[in-house]
Amino acid sequence: MSSVIWYLYEFARKSWAENFAAAKTDSEIMETPSRFRDFPQVRKEYCIACGACTAACPAPMAIKLVRSEDSAHEEGITYPIINTRGCIRCGFCAEVCPTDPKTLLCGENHLIREEFTILPVDKMFVIDDYLCIKCKKCMKSCKVGDAISEIDNKMVIDQSKCISCGECLKTCPVKGAIKGIFISNVEEQKEIINMVVNTLEARIESEKDKIKKLEPEEIFKIDFPIDELVEKSREIIKNDELIKDTLEKITDRLKMNIITWDDEKCKNCRLCVKECPSGAITYDEEKGVQRNPKKCLKCSICYQTCPFGVAGFYVARFLLSETSMDDGVIHITLKAAQLPIRS
Amino acid sequence: MILPIGPIHPGLKEPLRLKLKTRGEKVLSAEIDYGYVHRGIERVMKNKTWQKGIFLSERVCGICSYIHTQTFAETFEKIAGERAPLRAQYLRVLTNELDRIQSHLLANSTYFKVLEHETLFMYMLSLREPVMDAIELLTGNRVNMGWNVVGGVRMDAEEKHLQSIMKIMNELEEQYDKYVEMFEHGPLLGLRSHDVGRMSRDDAIKARAVGPIGRASGLKHDLREFHHTYRDNFDFKVIWRKEGDNFARTMNRFDEITQSISLIKQVINNLPEGKVRKKIDIPAGYGDWRNEAPRGEVSYMIETNGNLIRNVSIRTPSIMNIDACAKYMLHDVATVADAVATYASVDPCIACTERVVILDESGKNREFQGIHDINIK
Amino acid sequence: MLDSLKDIIRKSSIHVCLINTGGCNGCDIEVVALLSPRYDLEQYGIYVHNNPREADVILVTGAVTEQWREKLQRIYAKAPEPKIVVAIGNCPLSGDVFNQEGSSVYAPVSDFIPVDAEISGCPPRPSEILAAILGVGPDAIAAKGRQKQ
Repeated sequence: MSSVIWYLYEFARKSWAENFAAAKTDSEIMETPSRFRDFPQVRKEYCIACGACTAACPAPMAIKLVRSEDSAHEEGITYPIINTRGCIRCGFCAEVCPTDPKTLLCGENHLIREEFTILPVDKMFVIDDYLCIKCKKCMKSCKVGDAISEIDNKMVIDQSKCISCGECLKTCPVKGAIKGIFISNVEEQKEIINMVVNTLEARIESEKDKIKKLEPEEIFKIDFPIDELVEKSREIIKNDELIKDTLEKITDRLKMNIITWDDEKCKNCRLCVKECPSGAITYDEEKGVQRNPKKCLKCSICYQTCPFGVAGFYVARFLLSETSMDDGVIHITLKAAQLPIRS
Repeated sequence: MILPIGPIHPGLKEPLRLKLKTRGEKVLSAEIDYGYVHRGIERVMKNKTWQKGIFLSERVCGICSYIHTQTFAETFEKIAGERAPLRAQYLRVLTNELDRIQSHLLANSTYFKVLEHETLFMYMLSLREPVMDAIELLTGNRVNMGWNVVGGVRMDAEEKHLQSIMKIMNELEEQYDKYVEMFEHGPLLGLRSHDVGRMSRDDAIKARAVGPIGRASGLKHDLREFHHTYRDNFDFKVIWRKEGDNFARTMNRFDEITQSISLIKQVINNLPEGKVRKKIDIPAGYGDWRNEAPRGEVSYMIETNGNLIRNVSIRTPSIMNIDACAKYMLHDVATVADAVATYASVDPCIACTERVVILDESGKNREFQGIHDINIK
Repeated sequence: MLDSLKDIIRKSSIHVCLINTGGCNGCDIEVVALLSPRYDLEQYGIYVHNNPREADVILVTGAVTEQWREKLQRIYAKAPEPKIVVAIGNCPLSGDVFNQEGSSVYAPVSDFIPVDAEISGCPPRPSEILAAILGVGPDAIAAKGRQKQ
């Protein structure tokens, strides 16, 4: 009974009738309160392009550093832009922003103190223990107190203290002993690597006819200018340092197997069809033995199996001689593999 | 006959499939399908710093987002062997209780909505709005607050903020009793709630029911009893009931709101001065921590190498509660409407539950890189 | 004449279906908060009913998870014309924090169904949702209705 009375009481109020007649939300309600943490505000002029905000941001596509066009009078400035479709309004970018006054403002009353600031790390430095000669030059050059230390007769970089300035890399006398690894943009790096490898392969493919005529001990050389590769990589990611680093690493380590195929020599014995592990070689009544280069794993089994020398197997190596990003050249050397032919 | 409800259904707010086995109007048993909102959060959290992990943990569940960050932070504090400053601990209690109030009010409002009692539904939501204001005032955001960090909290609360929260709490306390009475003595609500979806204490133990659902069935267990801040500084008593039906669960939540209000008043009256954040160096190691979320017990198990999170495992209360609901409550229910009401009274939070644990009976260790790798026969 | 009458009806009675395609629930409870007496969505004739078969507006919250990829399109097909899709929060727009290496989300939602309006924020405040819905909702439905004829 009491609830029925309550209903009647509520409906009988004057304010209820008034609200019923005019549907309107109070403008007061639509206002955001003062302590609400809205999307960060960017003050471009203070930005030092350190990248702390992008490194600290927990959302993957919320914040990006961009650089405005150079004008006649002055250089373009770099500043962060906030993508409101990705920003989660946590205010962490404002918290880590090291400039004074702050480039990024988000909410009020943040406890911003030096010791909580995390520094930009899009590059991780590690010491290769195998190559390190323990000259301790990196230790002396390190700008942070004790980021590099000697533990158990090994040089170790403390990742929590490292600020990724790259000083150690510059002073290191051994090539490859200290490695700077880009830990962000992994996807883009993959794309660049795929693109470079495919382009190099296509270039070698185009010289097929010359390669087939190679003598066993003869070396075939191609020079490949990298400007085209750099242009394509810049379309993937606009970071010259990263592109150069990736190109260097690829050409240092890449060893490419090349399989050539001489249809005229083929006697349709079909020995290779059974051996091929990926099913790239097929036999057709009309067309004879066919090889599908797209499926090929370059394992060289067909080369080792074929008694007539249809398949040729060559190994290509690469060396990057770089003067600058635009007129560097990749030297490709190619020679016949020394693999014995299975009898 | 099998009556499927969901994943999109007027009675459900979140995607989930209820399969009710019915004979006529009577519900014989129920089965629950999850997996609609599995995002792979634990996998994403791997190899990230805690600064990023804490915002991910916040988004495990939107309703009890606060307690996830607190547990995450306290796990790291346990690994480091330190505690946040006392003022930060008090402020954490304050936010935790505010979050509990809004969560319980939302849960009860959903229950009333399912009972088609729109009036109380609206009253509950109107009570909830000032609490959301208080949360926003304190933390800067309504739902995903971004307020906890390892070693304390991010913003300090000034005296005027505390006073306005106190005012909100006083107003809430004044109005609140009226609505509790509406529920407690309302004849229609009583008919729909008393003796519906009963779960006995033994069943609750078997189903590992936690939180208000377990406490309404007579399991006197609240982790806040053992939490160091509550244990040392606050006057706290576990609230529990014996009936174990829909009425008990809803009333238990109402009573807990009363207690939360008293805890908030204790915090504001005794808030110590001092810092609210300190720097904590995290060593490599493993730690686990349990906390009482609005829905029960949430626990984090984290393995870290000092910088990055190596491994993380999250256990949330809803998974046990939903299973308890399916197995023991939705068993011989008189009508389908009662079954849906019982389900709503359990306060299920689907976003919480969606994590995958794979047990291989052969005892081999295998690594899965995502849900797509798994072939279940 | 008939068109303008249809316009009025379409603008003043809007049924909404809320689909959580795998978010954190935060946006959903902000939509529930919109129903509260303070914001009172229903005074504008907007009724959140969660039934795709009678929906004029489909609210999508959440990045698209494995299970939702096909079901979302099925639900969209079930809604009668004219219909508009509003994406609430960052998850349907960009995948938010979940859209990182190793997760099983397939954001954005616009890959699966056409999105007419978007509200960003994680989660957006009820006032922001309300402003956006009132800003685009009624007129968009009326415009869509005319377009079909």
